[in-house]
Amino acid sequence: MKPVDFAYARPMDVTAALSLLAEAGPSAKVIAGSQSLGPMLNLRLVQPGLVIDITHIAELRLVEERPDGISIGACITHADIEDGRVPDVAAGALRDVAHGIAYRAVRNRGTIGGSLTHADPSADWITMLAALGASVTLRGAAGLRTIPVEDYMLGALEADLRPGELLVSVTVPRLGRAARWGYYKLCRKTGEFAHAIGACVVDPERGVCRAVIGATEARPIVVADARHLIGDGTQEQFDGPAVDELARASGMEDAIVRQTHVVALRRAVAGAAHR
Amino acid sequence: MSRVSLRVNGRVRDAEVAPRTHLADLLRETHNLTGTHIGCEHGVCGACTLLLDGMPARACITFAAACEGAEVTTIEGLDDDEIARELRAAFTARHALQCGYCTPGMIVSARDVVLRMAAPDEHAIRVAMSGNLCRCTGYVGIVRAIQAVIADRRARGIAAIPGGGRDRLGPAGAGHAGAASAPPPAASVPAAAPLAALPDAAGVPPGWTPQVTFRQSFVSAHPAEAVWTFLGRIEEVAACLPGATLDRIGPDGRVDGRIRAKIGPVAAEFGGTAHIARDGQTRTGTIAGTGRDVRSNSMTRGRITYAVAPDPSGAGTRVDVDIGYTLTGMLAQFGRPGLVQDLAARLAAAFAQNLEGRLSHAQGVDGAPPPAPARPLDAGALIVAVLVGRLKRALRRLLGRS
Repeated sequence: MKPVDFAYARPMDVTAALSLLAEAGPSAKVIAGSQSLGPMLNLRLVQPGLVIDITHIAELRLVEERPDGISIGACITHADIEDGRVPDVAAGALRDVAHGIAYRAVRNRGTIGGSLTHADPSADWITMLAALGASVTLRGAAGLRTIPVEDYMLGALEADLRPGELLVSVTVPRLGRAARWGYYKLCRKTGEFAHAIGACVVDPERGVCRAVIGATEARPIVVADARHLIGDGTQEQFDGPAVDELARASGMEDAIVRQTHVVALRRAVAGAAHR
Repeated sequence: MSRVSLRVNGRVRDAEVAPRTHLADLLRETHNLTGTHIGCEHGVCGACTLLLDGMPARACITFAAACEGAEVTTIEGLDDDEIARELRAAFTARHALQCGYCTPGMIVSARDVVLRMAAPDEHAIRVAMSGNLCRCTGYVGIVRAIQAVIADRRARGIAAIPGGGRDRLGPAGAGHAGAASAPPPAASVPAAAPLAALPDAAGVPPGWTPQVTFRQSFVSAHPAEAVWTFLGRIEEVAACLPGATLDRIGPDGRVDGRIRAKIGPVAAEFGGTAHIARDGQTRTGTIAGTGRDVRSNSMTRGRITYAVAPDPSGAGTRVDVDIGYTLTGMLAQFGRPGLVQDLAARLAAAFAQNLEGRLSHAQGVDGAPPPAPARPLDAGALIVAVLVGRLKRALRRLLGRS
């Protein structure tokens, strides 16, 4: 249960991290809080030649609040968000979701950027941030590019990270005053990988009605205009058969798995209605 | 080697360690602080939980070099801590420790609960402590001990400190160090180990029941006879399967080969032996075998049966593939059946596409390009192709309905 004998580098700024990445090529692996990569290294499922530790880069531990949202540095932890050290521009959604991730000892080191880049389909951030319409900003030799969170995940454990690129920040739009959100994940044991996740955001001021079916073992199913599925986000207007049909059309063939995901989204919507 | 300097239980301690050394090993092996226990060593059991800059953290999945300059408090450093002292008394009074293996981690996590949470009920305490496993299953006593300490402290007017008093951002333990690099160890790439000999040739006993079973199906435009014959040509089949290599085709349907697959940063190459049996009457076949991935020390045993029949729609041929497998070793500890199934679906989709290409070319269909061997299933391109396929199907269905 010991990792392979890798080399270690601790750059102090993003530029240095990028040049290390460019030099080392594909045998290098970027590490942040090490709460997902750590187990895979210990199990020797991942065997890098060089580990680049980005947690000491000050600019990745910054947050910048703006009138229209917030930019969260890649190395901000789940606990930073849970405890409110990062302002919650999403009416409590960020704090609530952060609080439900794994265990406190993991949240104290696990990072938002690491979670998204690890791209585990059952992770919380990918689903909730997709519902919120968040985006990620990546920096590489060619400069910056910003893409929606749901496009960043290509498939199970595959992020759209080009060679030499690094996720630097996550941008979450500010919800309007009348906005409601719901989030429900189905786990048999607290903190385990979710079996199904449902998330929704209804923000009348901004004309947003989004629903996401997560923990699909692949990319989350994101419905940018979900009015035909969840109406105005009240439980009465939830169309279970339509959600089931959407899941089936997206390749979810097992009826029990589909039902679990329908229920997760229904409970998310019910939670949103009561908020 | 890299030099790691930590403030451990109030004292600065330096050590020269390999970069791969995790915090629990550094404390136990170098500083002789064996109170930090190691259980699962992949962040699940909580036995190694200690305080890093005052916050609970998993020592087994936190690398020592990443904590340069940090403040570490182990169970040994909590002797004079007020909350820990009260917890020890309460654990004793309420029979909250049996074998003691989980206890250091339990005390560290419990201290955090007492410190941060104002008035948690039993459920909230159980949720907050769910990252620490007690294999004696003595949770009732542990929860009662924590409840007692919280009730007592709040009665004494001691308020909770939300967030545990942390005032900086980023991972606990990070942000104290300057730039550093430790060179790669000499001969960092070990030579590929030879495939271990398997106990018996195909290694699948007749009555064996797989752990995981699922079905993949695809439809070919070619007649059933052509598809059936094609599936009998093992070299062609291997050439259609992404990442597969044939090493030897033996007598009696015995085949040695390898298959490479990659999910994100995880790469595995299973090598092994399979036995192939076919029944031309029913047009069904069975492939049974065992394989081993040397890198992750994982073993798999599997049985694949396939049936070739004219598609009920009347056009083309339907191939139903039933896959059953059991996975043991490191990959199994990490793996989740759903991820394997997603990979299998991607493999099947690529296989069907390659089979179509080869059959079309062999039959001289206009414009069919000459076949190329299938590339290993490798990240982005194929996944995107499958996803685009799914999206198209989804759109067709949705538009078809409206």
